[in-house]
Amino acid sequence: LLVSLAVVRCQQYPPLRTLQASAALRAASDEHKKEPWASSSQQHFESPPAEHQPEEKPQGPHPSYTGQGGQESEDYESEEQLQHRILTAALEFVPEHGWTAEAIAEGAKTLGLSVAAAGLFHSDGSELILHFVSDCNTKLTELLKKEQKLVQLGEAEKKPIDEFLRDAVEARLRMLIPYIEKWPQALSVLLLPRNIPSSLSLLTSMIDDIWHYAGDQSTDFNWYTRRAVLTAIYNTTELVMMQDSSPGFEDTWRFLENRVADAMAMSNTATQVQSTGEAVVQGLMGAAVTVSNAGTCRAVTAEFLLNVSICFPNPNLENNMEKLSSFVT
Amino acid sequence: MAAAVVPALRCSLLQRWPHRCGPGVRAVPGAGAALRPCSSRVAQDGINQPVIDRIIRVDHAGEYGANRIYAGQMAVLGRSSVGPVIQQMWNQEKNHLKKFNELMVAYRVRPTVLLPFWNVAGFVLGAGSALLGKKGAMACTVAVEESISEHYNNQIRTLIEEDPEKYKELLQVIKQFRDEEQEHHDIGLEHDAEATPAYSVLKTAIQLGCKAAIFLSERI
Repeated sequence: LLVSLAVVRCQQYPPLRTLQASAALRAASDEHKKEPWASSSQQHFESPPAEHQPEEKPQGPHPSYTGQGGQESEDYESEEQLQHRILTAALEFVPEHGWTAEAIAEGAKTLGLSVAAAGLFHSDGSELILHFVSDCNTKLTELLKKEQKLVQLGEAEKKPIDEFLRDAVEARLRMLIPYIEKWPQALSVLLLPRNIPSSLSLLTSMIDDIWHYAGDQSTDFNWYTRRAVLTAIYNTTELVMMQDSSPGFEDTWRFLENRVADAMAMSNTATQVQSTGEAVVQGLMGAAVTVSNAGTCRAVTAEFLLNVSICFPNPNLENNMEKLSSFVT
Repeated sequence: MAAAVVPALRCSLLQRWPHRCGPGVRAVPGAGAALRPCSSRVAQDGINQPVIDRIIRVDHAGEYGANRIYAGQMAVLGRSSVGPVIQQMWNQEKNHLKKFNELMVAYRVRPTVLLPFWNVAGFVLGAGSALLGKKGAMACTVAVEESISEHYNNQIRTLIEEDPEKYKELLQVIKQFRDEEQEHHDIGLEHDAEATPAYSVLKTAIQLGCKAAIFLSERI
């Protein structure tokens, strides 16, 4: 089944570049040293999560060699891991070379691979940037998880929401500091149409993580409002950080604090508006009931009086009956 | 060849929203060998997140809508003779909604964007059908509960196909709710739902609406 899946995908997506590049790569690396190819397990990160991702297996469209059975799956694993290792090594050279193929080439050299390894990736450094962002998000999640554990064990105080959000966003943005010079370039690459699905999904899952650890349990439209607000805060703070030249980025952190405070105030206002609205509606309903009750009261009294007056002879009976029956209706 | 394509299609259909995948950088089709990094959120115990996402999202939307339908019916028929019956069914739906709220938080599922719309549409449907009389309200109940029971049955089938052991708790919940919805359906029939004028037209229209709601809530 794996083979036929690969065949189907092969027909859809051009695998040529990968084949050639990785073939050249392997040839070059064989000359230098024998890399011990790690096999099978789905470990992707240097801070490896304990869980495996079985759902990745059927999905990864490895555009490749057919009919090589066990050999094929091993190569698939190590292909990705290799790319991961190259990109991680390349990060060291980003401050100097920017998010470019040069940085990737330098990274490959430190691993003892040929500079042709840069050919495995796009020349605009998309994969490098996405890899970095994904890495940062994972680090943030680990950090938040650790904090949560401390709170659960009673070793730390539970932070109020605005402080939690502020700290989480600050922690995440601080990871950009070593690369801050070249980050505007990275942002522009992330906005390329080709990269938007990936960068958007990374952004949304990071924001979702932050809210989850902040204790958000909304199951209505608030879910969307909160995430939209936090995304706006994060994006604007990131942009402010790009042009911030204050010592230790204190202007950025102050901006962040103000935006989070604004968001909290806005949500309080919204709650107040809603409760005011509800109070107004209650008042109107009460008024309506009172009026209709008064009307009913009058009708009941009128009917009673009508019945009473029928019993006693009365020269003004017709007039009185007319008046009373108008109240009854 | 067809046999190979079908599972491939099914895989891609189930995993159209990659941001719920686990950590890692995976190769995806594109020019060259573009890597597609995914979220840093780990899958919980290897469950099929996209499938569970859909199931819980659509069920949550369904119970929310059912709540609003009964609210609409009570607003019109609350003081009539069927008021207590509708109230009791409404209470059960409230329990269902509460349960799905819990599941949604536990599995970290996104609610559907259309919730505000289902809020209004459900109330309008309930009130509208109640304005057709008690039988009209019961007809609406029958139609909706029949759709929901069928839908729950489909989900039970899906989960059993996946892995009955892994999803035992969820399966139990859905089975129990399906039984209760079936009860509501039977109560509706007992109260002369079928005697409503234009019963079959009303029923078909409502069930079509339910199918559309289910389709949309799973995806959006």
